[in-house]
Amino acid sequence: MDDRAPRSPFPTRILAVALALSCAAGRVAAKDATPFAARGGLELASAAAQSWSGDAVLVYVENDEGLNNDAAGTSPRWSYLFYSASQDRARVWSVRGGRIVVAENLDMRFDAPPIAAGWLDSGAAIAAAERSAGDEIRKLRGAHLETMLLMRGAFSEGDPDATTWTLVYRAPGAPALFVVVSAADGKVQRTWRG
Amino acid sequence: MRPSSLLSALLALAVSARPAPAATTERAPAPAAATVTTVTVERERPVREKLPTLQFLRANRDFIRARFDRLREEPHTTRAGAADLDPRFLEYRRLLAQITTAKDSVTVASDARERQGVFTSVQDLAGIERELDQMERLLDAQRARLAELQADFAGRQRTELDVVVTGNTLAGRVDSVRVTLEDGTSFTSALTETQRGSLIHGGALEVFRGLAEPREQVVEVSLMGEGWSATGRGFVTLEPARDRLTFLKVDLSQASPALGIASLKASTWLLEPGAGTSAEADQDRP
Repeated sequence: MDDRAPRSPFPTRILAVALALSCAAGRVAAKDATPFAARGGLELASAAAQSWSGDAVLVYVENDEGLNNDAAGTSPRWSYLFYSASQDRARVWSVRGGRIVVAENLDMRFDAPPIAAGWLDSGAAIAAAERSAGDEIRKLRGAHLETMLLMRGAFSEGDPDATTWTLVYRAPGAPALFVVVSAADGKVQRTWRG
Repeated sequence: MRPSSLLSALLALAVSARPAPAATTERAPAPAAATVTTVTVERERPVREKLPTLQFLRANRDFIRARFDRLREEPHTTRAGAADLDPRFLEYRRLLAQITTAKDSVTVASDARERQGVFTSVQDLAGIERELDQMERLLDAQRARLAELQADFAGRQRTELDVVVTGNTLAGRVDSVRVTLEDGTSFTSALTETQRGSLIHGGALEVFRGLAEPREQVVEVSLMGEGWSATGRGFVTLEPARDRLTFLKVDLSQASPALGIASLKASTWLLEPGAGTSAEADQDRP
C-alpha cells in the first residue's frame, strides 16, 4: 500500500512563492506611496476631524516623510493637526497613499490659531522661496529641503496674524536655513540661520 | 371570493405570519450581496506599526509654545478673524426670496379671480389659461428648489459607523453587548427578553451608530452574560469609507462560549447612495 500523501495536481510550492512575492510587492507598494502636495490629504483629514469634533479647525501642517527633490513640494506623508476648542485638545491625522495611517491626540497643549483659508499649496511655497531666497539657499552647499510646516502666528514677525509656510533647509556642517513664506501671497517674509 | 381577492388575502396572511421584529430592535438596510465583506473577529487586539508624526513640532515644542505665549501678550494679536460665510446660506436666502415672490404672484392672481367672479367671454378663459400656466411654472420652480434643498441636506452623508448584532448564540446567554471604539468610548446595549426573542426570529439590534473617522481602526466587541464573561471579547478591524455609512454586522448565530469569540461571524457593507432609509430588511439580511 502506498502511504504517501497524494500528490496534489496543483503546484502548491509555486503558489506559495507567488503569494509571498505578491505580499512582498504589496508591502513595497505600501512603502512607496505616491508623494503628494500638502493640500492632497486635506479633505480626508478634515473629514476625520469633523467626525472627531464639530468645531475642529486646522492649525498646523507638516511633512512626516522626506520631501521629494522635485520642487513640487510633495511628500509621501503629511500630517494635519486640528484643534478643538470644545475639547481643548489637538489631534493629528497623518495621510499616506490616500489613507489615514496615524490618528492620535497630541500629547502637548497646542491651542494655536486656525490656519487661514486659501493657503498656497506646498509647491507654490517652494517656488516662492526659490524666487526670492534662491541665492541664499544655493550658498548653503549641499542643502536640501528637510521640513515644511504651515501655521499661523509663530514664525511671522511683521504680521503675527499671517499664515505662513516655514521651509527648513539643511546642509551638512552648517546651521539650517529657515525661509518664511506668506501662505496668502507667496512673499518671502524673512530668512534666518539657526 | 374572486381569485385576486383570495391571492391578496393569502399574501396578507403570509406577511402577518412572519415573525415581526420587536419595536425596540433596529432594522439595518439590506446589504447587496456583492458588497458584503466578511471580517475576522480576533482574540487579541491587532498590533499596528507606529509611525512618527509632527517631528519638527515635537522637537521644537518649547520654542513654538513660547512664540504663541508671546503673541497672546500683545493685544493686537488677539483679534478674531471673520470666518468665511458659507455660500449655501446666501443661496437659501435667494430660494426664500423666490418662494415669497411666487407666493405673492399666486395671491395676486387669486385675488383678481375672486374679484372678477364670473367669466363672460372666451377672452376670460384665455386669461385663466395663462394664469394656470403661470401657476404650473411656479410649481415647477418650487419643485426644483425643493430638489436642491433635498440634495443639499439628504445627500450630505458624513462618515458614520453602524454596529448591529444579529442571531442567537448556540450556547450561553448574552445579556448585553458592548462596543468599544479605538478612543476608548464604550456603548453597551442590554438585551431584554423581547430583543432576545427578536434576534432569534431574525431581528437585528443596533448597538452603536455615530460618526467615525475614515481610517482603519479596531472595534472591540464584548459579549456579557452566562458563559461569555470570560471569553466574550473580540477585535474587528475595519475601515469606514469617507462620507458613507458603514455597517458592521456581528452575527451570533454560530457563537458558543466553548468555541470562543472567534465563533462570531462579522461582516461589513456600505449603505449604497440613493438607498436612503427605504431599504427594507428581510429574514436573511437584517
